[in-house]
Amino acid sequence: MAETIIHLEDVHKYFGPVHALRGVSLDVQMGEVVVIMGPSGSGKSTLLRCINHLEVYNSGKIIVDGILLKSAQNINIVRREIGMVFQSFNLFPHLTAMDNLALAQCVVRKRDRKEAKETALNLLAKVGISEKAEYYPGQLSGGQQQRVAIARALAMNPKIMLFDEPTSALDPEMIKEVLDVMLALAKEGMTMIVVSHEMGFARAAASRCIFMDEGQIVEEGTPDKFFSSPSQERTKVFLSKVLQI
Amino acid sequence: MPPKGLFRNLGRAFSRDTATDSTPTQEELGRVPGAELSSRLDPWWWLVAAVAIIIILLVVFQSDPYLNILLFVRDGLAITVLLTIASFVFIILVGLIGGLGRISSNPFIHLVATLYVEIARGIPLLVQLIWWYFAAPVVIQTIGRLLHISALANYQSNAIFLAIVGLVVCYGAYMSEIFRAGIQSIHKGQTEAARSLGMSYMQSMRHVILPQALRVVLPPVGNEFIMLLKDSSLVSVVAVADLTRRGREFMATHFDPIEVWTLVALLYLIMTLFAARLIAWLEKRRTFER
Repeated sequence: MAETIIHLEDVHKYFGPVHALRGVSLDVQMGEVVVIMGPSGSGKSTLLRCINHLEVYNSGKIIVDGILLKSAQNINIVRREIGMVFQSFNLFPHLTAMDNLALAQCVVRKRDRKEAKETALNLLAKVGISEKAEYYPGQLSGGQQQRVAIARALAMNPKIMLFDEPTSALDPEMIKEVLDVMLALAKEGMTMIVVSHEMGFARAAASRCIFMDEGQIVEEGTPDKFFSSPSQERTKVFLSKVLQI
Repeated sequence: MPPKGLFRNLGRAFSRDTATDSTPTQEELGRVPGAELSSRLDPWWWLVAAVAIIIILLVVFQSDPYLNILLFVRDGLAITVLLTIASFVFIILVGLIGGLGRISSNPFIHLVATLYVEIARGIPLLVQLIWWYFAAPVVIQTIGRLLHISALANYQSNAIFLAIVGLVVCYGAYMSEIFRAGIQSIHKGQTEAARSLGMSYMQSMRHVILPQALRVVLPPVGNEFIMLLKDSSLVSVVAVADLTRRGREFMATHFDPIEVWTLVALLYLIMTLFAARLIAWLEKRRTFER
């Protein structure tokens, strides 16, 4: 039995009067790749952001790597173990690609600069852009920026990687280069939670697909079962719309 | 003989292949069109030069009274410069703390910072300077007597020190608002990215937000510096022998207002023009690709 690394129990989240998460429970095992789908406003991103406490949940329980997310002291420790990749990359524009990767290593992990640079170079090579190490984010294409962002998260040696619609802001031709990096990561056994509508990626890499609507998990299952024979009517309607494109 | 180097550089700046394939060196980045040395000699330098030449001509060819005035006010000139720079260092510090306080989620810190800003910018600078010079020492002495602390009870006011306090308190409030706006102008995603990497609030401020905010606030901060340089003339009212006060002293004995105040005005002008050039240079240096 694999080890449970993320445990969510009846999590509720309100934005003022809006009830964004309505009792979400979810267990993620070590090494699993979970792909979350659903219409916009269904709470997918909110769920992801609750897991590394960028959003504070109102009730329920979230345990990551054995640590209950509640008190402020725990948060920075938990966040070191969780890499996050954003839709809009959020690279630091005043730093080169290299320094984007090195900064948190030096500041948070207290690595010395030489070691941090070595790690950074290795990771940039891994995502296939070592030749852009001294470029600033503004000089890179969207796909390159997102690959730097993935490498930046990996530089902290996280146990879990969260992807919040990583390809939604990209031109179609750049999506593949980002997905390839994510696929390679999944093959290496990284625990990943991915909010994405990339069906190809879900089929190839996901160990589980989850469909969310109106702040609840409507359906979950293996990609085969999820795409071929969804049990819920809402999932069928959603998939028929998405797969038409 | 055609200038080969120039053509090669132009070619490099415009050729996409070489620009994107190899890592650009600092030297190459310096050759971006529009950033050449020649373009830095913009018309503003002519104004600086013109004012400098007028001052030199006056002092050399009309040394009576202009050289006499210049020699008389030169210690005041030094005081004005030192007062401005010393105040500005503390204003930046107060502004940073005040700006962070204004965006603090702690309601008490937020309240204190907001009260400070609202009070300090709601009272005229001249009134504040007079209050610090005439009222504050009495307040300190009274408190010293009440608490039996002889160091406070025998407090002797120091004009320059209290003038700096007055300038810092007033300008610190403006600076707080500038820093607050600068920090808030940085996209929320930057904080989120920094925090999601495990950085603390202070670490993300220091390494991610402030370096970017600094670039945004540089123009208004530079503006504040120039205003401070000019407003420092107000300290002449509270017994600080700055440029303005020395000018008044010279006029009182020699009765030549036109010459004195023309030269004093030109001296202020050349200082502010230089400051403006310095700020423009800093702005250029701190830009980066977005």
